[in-house]
Amino acid sequence: MSRATQTALVRDDRTAYEAAAGLAVGLSGVAFAVGLAALLDVVSIDDPVAGVELPVAFGAVLLALGASVVAFGAVSRLDYVDTGPQPSAGLVAAAAFTAIWFAVGAAVSGALGLGTVGRFGVGAALAGVGFATTAFPREDVGSTVPAGVVAALCGLALLSGVVGPGWERPLAGYNATLFGDTVVPVVVLFASLVTGWSGAKAYGGFGARGRNVGAYVLIYLVVGSILAVLVGLVAFVTAKGLPGLFNGFGLGGASLLRWPFLTNGAGLLADIAGVFPALMGTIWLVVGAVLFAVPTGVGAAVFLSEYAEQGRFTGAVEVATNGLWSTPSIVFGLFGAAFLIPRFGNQKSLIAGMLTLGFMLLPLVLITSREAILAVPDEYRDASAALGVSKWQTIRSVVLPAAIPGVTTGVILGVGRIAGETAPILLTMGGGVLPAKSAAPNVMTGFRLSTSPPFVSNPALLEATSALPYQLYALITAGLSGNIQNPQEYAWGLALTLLLVVLVFYAVGIATRYYFRRKLHQ
Amino acid sequence: MSQTDTAETTANRTDSQGVSTTAGETVQETRPEWTNYEADGETKLAVDDLDVHYGDDHALKGVSMDIPEESVTALIGPSGCGKSTFLRCLNRMNDRIRAASVDGTVELDGEDIYQDGVDLVELRKRVGMVFQSPNPFPKSIRENVSYGPRKHGDIETGLLAKLTGRAEPDREDALVERSLERAALWEEVSDRLDDNALGLSGGQQQRLCIARCLAVDPEVILMDEPASALDPIATSKIEDLIEDLAQDYTVVVVTHSMQQAARVSDQTAVFLTGGELVEYDDTEKIFENPESQRVEDYISGKFG
Repeated sequence: MSRATQTALVRDDRTAYEAAAGLAVGLSGVAFAVGLAALLDVVSIDDPVAGVELPVAFGAVLLALGASVVAFGAVSRLDYVDTGPQPSAGLVAAAAFTAIWFAVGAAVSGALGLGTVGRFGVGAALAGVGFATTAFPREDVGSTVPAGVVAALCGLALLSGVVGPGWERPLAGYNATLFGDTVVPVVVLFASLVTGWSGAKAYGGFGARGRNVGAYVLIYLVVGSILAVLVGLVAFVTAKGLPGLFNGFGLGGASLLRWPFLTNGAGLLADIAGVFPALMGTIWLVVGAVLFAVPTGVGAAVFLSEYAEQGRFTGAVEVATNGLWSTPSIVFGLFGAAFLIPRFGNQKSLIAGMLTLGFMLLPLVLITSREAILAVPDEYRDASAALGVSKWQTIRSVVLPAAIPGVTTGVILGVGRIAGETAPILLTMGGGVLPAKSAAPNVMTGFRLSTSPPFVSNPALLEATSALPYQLYALITAGLSGNIQNPQEYAWGLALTLLLVVLVFYAVGIATRYYFRRKLHQ
Repeated sequence: MSQTDTAETTANRTDSQGVSTTAGETVQETRPEWTNYEADGETKLAVDDLDVHYGDDHALKGVSMDIPEESVTALIGPSGCGKSTFLRCLNRMNDRIRAASVDGTVELDGEDIYQDGVDLVELRKRVGMVFQSPNPFPKSIRENVSYGPRKHGDIETGLLAKLTGRAEPDREDALVERSLERAALWEEVSDRLDDNALGLSGGQQQRLCIARCLAVDPEVILMDEPASALDPIATSKIEDLIEDLAQDYTVVVVTHSMQQAARVSDQTAVFLTGGELVEYDDTEKIFENPESQRVEDYISGKFG
């Protein structure tokens, strides 16, 4: 190759090649997306698409993709197009294809009925082949041929019906069976990921640019699938929960808004069973825990980062807080049951639950507040000190306002955890599994003044109270249904309500953080 | 030549190091003439035999100088020569560094600021400071300027003050306007006092920091390379401002730029490597006819 072509910044004879490779990448992406949809049961594997069964269609696409990927490599290797491959596809790719080919060899020989030794032998032999074809030839062959052949094999397996919807295989040694409707999408996902990567490398003309494009495609596909799983999870709960949540929902009429699921209890008098007592229980629980943990946590963080001398003591506190944050919640629950309950009337109560969850939230609030306070630039403290402002006033009017967004982040994360916590509630707060509306905690109106100590009392805080995750747990494990007509629907509605409560707390936290960020920076 | 200078200065001004016999005899005869220098005007700050250690590091060695009021005193010298350390001693900002220990006296109007029982809040109200990089608070321009007086309780704002009828919005506005005008920033920001100060340009932020410092009505203003993070136009505005401020305030300014020192200051102190004050005199004298060969080398760019 002459020097002039090597340094060409624009390779202009590659348009058709690039278009073909781009098409292959796009097709791989589509196959990946449909495979993901099939895995999440959005698309049924048994339904025919345009008269062809889905697995067969997948097989044809994968076979075509595999063949074209091999062709891209060959065309580049034979110098029909001007690409910039490196001498080898590299060790990482070689290791990946070693593993892939080992799996292919083991699976195929297993299907043929070979024993353990035979499967291992065939797998190892194919692993060697995979390594050699990836590592030793030039990059354009090494990163296309092994990939293309794997994809084509997967395609053949689907096309020929060796693996299909009816396929099933009992797992030896486990009491479980693999079914075709899981295996087909997995095979499609895997093969399209491989062809997508390989096609993207061809699209970039191999070399540094090709690796770059290949990495992009891999990352996008993987991240996309993770997001899809998350969205799928929320969508699943929502779809299952909506009928229960909106059971008897109505606008207008005698009362402006009728939402019995959220406003009724589950007692015998309720025409439509609802979750009102548990909903109020969860809301009060979170509010109480935050009210307890935020002032104490932020206060401790201020002391540790502004006043205490950095040394062994602060180091020990840091280790202890990190340890507390990773302590299992059941341990907190036991502490609450053994320590708090005897001190609050010797029965499970709302306030015992609030404090237990407050203890759980405390370490996270402390850790994040400390980070946030340490991240406030020293320049602010210097500027304030140089104006003759005392340390406490500086902390109050400069350091803490600048740290609020960070503190809020910690509270948001913590609320998500404690709102769904079941074990501590089970041990400290109890309450009825199917409480009537009258069992809802009346914290707001429950305060009573008296002339003898403690002067203020609130019976609502001292009563056993239900909460959403606790009720859900009880419904599932105890299988109670009371007078609920459709327990399944009720339980899913309950789950969706819990999800929404957490999301509402998130929204409040995020809005707070946004407000203070805006105030600080513009 | 320069070697003897060093030895004599050190021997003469540092008790702790002891005086060797050979150097000791020459002390009386060749004590540099500038040590007798007395600037025009009343002495505002009298520094005597100031030593600063950061742990084992001897950052400032036996510095003595008198800083006259209502003038600009420049401190120049290469990086690490102790000029910023010296400046931070004048309002005890070094107290904020745990490892720092300070010996010697600094008298503000005849009162030692390092004696026991000094109220740091009062000291720093009288001796203000402007830092190298502009550091306004992430608050509105108005809040930045009135921050000091509000925290000192000189101006009452907030809900409680409003409820009890003690709020003085007019006084606050007047103070903000006066301070910003004195810092030559009023014209540029008068219509957006409630915007966040971080939205200002670097030069404007630095003048805001000066206004914030002026709002507590100090007697001395310490500036630590106030223009080093700014572009030439912003720098010249700051320099004009410094000259202007010297009519009412005692200004001590640390700078890397000798041109800046020559332009704005009335007297100049040269610190060279090792934390010693090598020469202190009228700015004109320092730049045209310095006594010490080392200072001449430094100023003409041969050293440092």
